[in-house]
Amino acid sequence: MIERTVTIVPEDGLHARPASKFVEAANEYDSEITVAPADGDPVNAASMLAVTGLGAKSGDDVALTADGPDEEEAMEAVATVLTTPESES
Amino acid sequence: MSETLPGVGVTPLSGLGTARWYRPDERPDPESIEAAAPDTERERFSDAQAQAREEIETEREHTAERVGEEEAAVFDAHLQFLDDPQITDGVDEAIEDGAAAEAGVARAYGSAIEQFEGMEGMMAERADDMRDIRDRLLRILSGGERMDLETLPEGTVLLAERLTPSDTAQLDPERVAGFATATGGRTSHAAIFARSLGIPAVVGVGEDLLEIEDEADVAIDATNDAVIIDPDEETRERVTTSRDVEVRSEPVETADGVEIEVAANLGTTAELDGAVDQGADGIGLYRTEFLFLDRQQPPDEDEQFESYVDALEAFPDGRVVVRTLDIGGDKPIPYLDAEAEENPFLGNRGIRRSLDEDSDLFESQLRALLRTAAEGDGRLSVMFPLVSTTEELDAALDAVDAAAESLDEEGIEYERPELGVMIETPAAVMMADELASRVDFFSIGTNDLSQYVMAASRENDAVSHLHDPLHPAVLRAIRRSVDAAHDNDAWIGMCGEMAGDPSVTKLLVGLGLDELSMSAVTIPEVKAAITETDTESAGELAKRALGASTKSEVRETITDSQ
Repeated sequence: MIERTVTIVPEDGLHARPASKFVEAANEYDSEITVAPADGDPVNAASMLAVTGLGAKSGDDVALTADGPDEEEAMEAVATVLTTPESES
Repeated sequence: MSETLPGVGVTPLSGLGTARWYRPDERPDPESIEAAAPDTERERFSDAQAQAREEIETEREHTAERVGEEEAAVFDAHLQFLDDPQITDGVDEAIEDGAAAEAGVARAYGSAIEQFEGMEGMMAERADDMRDIRDRLLRILSGGERMDLETLPEGTVLLAERLTPSDTAQLDPERVAGFATATGGRTSHAAIFARSLGIPAVVGVGEDLLEIEDEADVAIDATNDAVIIDPDEETRERVTTSRDVEVRSEPVETADGVEIEVAANLGTTAELDGAVDQGADGIGLYRTEFLFLDRQQPPDEDEQFESYVDALEAFPDGRVVVRTLDIGGDKPIPYLDAEAEENPFLGNRGIRRSLDEDSDLFESQLRALLRTAAEGDGRLSVMFPLVSTTEELDAALDAVDAAAESLDEEGIEYERPELGVMIETPAAVMMADELASRVDFFSIGTNDLSQYVMAASRENDAVSHLHDPLHPAVLRAIRRSVDAAHDNDAWIGMCGEMAGDPSVTKLLVGLGLDELSMSAVTIPEVKAAITETDTESAGELAKRALGASTKSEVRETITDSQ
């Protein structure tokens, strides 16, 4: 299992389009991916409900974990969504 | 005997038809359903999911076609939530515990609804989406056929406790005479869809709606915020006038070549598409209150900026008039200290609050507006509500200067928008000359102006006959404001309901209004009326109406001139 902490860049935070893209990315891989706010429990990154339920905003730090056969690629993909400004994605 | 139930009209349209109740929620308590073996229940759930997916995809297609791509996006969210692991895991767990698929669905969506209801703004609306999906699944599981809303008999007035976005999107404006719901408000999905589709609709009628029986004759009079049971002849005639008018998306001129700007009133940016579709030249009244309502924290400068820019970008060749926050004791906002007061319409509201306890909000709104003015090709105009003294206007203009200065210091790009005053109080009419010399434009809010000039509320049936802009007193106030504006090289518009009434368009042209702003659905009719008017005979009509001594004389003059 690998872990990484990233700061959310998209202006909308983990809502709306960035959240959709994040969840889509998480669903593309076989690895189990979780996301957790700085002071909270990790949730399933493949769940739009759970992800938007975090209410994470632009500038917040979140901890990501990926566990499975393609964890390296999966981590790279979901972390990229969170660290790319909306206008460039 | 006819009976009138008050509600909230969300489209300025009316219709007449036969009542038909839509009761999608009447089904057994999910927890009372006996469970079969877990494997069977799991299969029932996954079959229901598959059918729901098929239905949602079809509805998405229809909505994109009939309402618009932006509104159809709500169904993409539904599809995503339908397969969401949080939900499916929740249902699986419940079934494992011996629950039926129905109870599993009710529990899993129930906790998601709770989760979203605790959040702010847009996220809270997600709770409605969750209910929509849950109810769909429960209906499918119960084997229930739903009422086919797309092919309702022509002339149906649909009645329901509430309508989901999926329900509303299926309604065919050609068949449905209107709908009324017990719950809901102006900004609910159902209301927004009704406006986009052009369906007469009254929401928030309350429990009284339930007393209407199937097959009853019902009029939906959304213009007057009412549902009328067994309407009399006069009402029938009034609510069935045709609305089959060509949409003109270019600015229009009178028969003798005077251009009159026709703009739309806007509550939320969700209504922008509807305004463009109906041929609005721009936005004549953007009520910014809706940005601030139904949430726990005020929107910050950036969030406001984005909404204002959206409006400006929808009209690259037009003008967008934004009214600064108009809040008082009648529109409670949780994070503002606006106490309910004895007489909110004569109390602490509009610019009075903006210059005093809400000055921080006013500052952030002005900064957002000044930044917006530097964006896009359209022109931005900003106006202040409920001004009654020149001191208030001067203070508001000082606040604009201060906002410009602070943006300057921070090196943020901005421009000064056109600035204007809403003419709503008799005091503003009396001081119109002094006010006009300080600003670029006026916009007359006829609903408030009528209320204040006539000292009559339209909420009180006993005095509502006084609340009518066709009283000569109100017409003279309008004329006085027009003259003051033009004497000072300012333009003048009107954004009250009167502006959207095609039967008085000629009179308004004659009174000298340069712009008329209204609910989007009435734009085609008013544009048509303008092209049939020539300014000379309109001027004569106005002169006769201004000389009338009673409201009925004014009405006669208008009828005679048509």
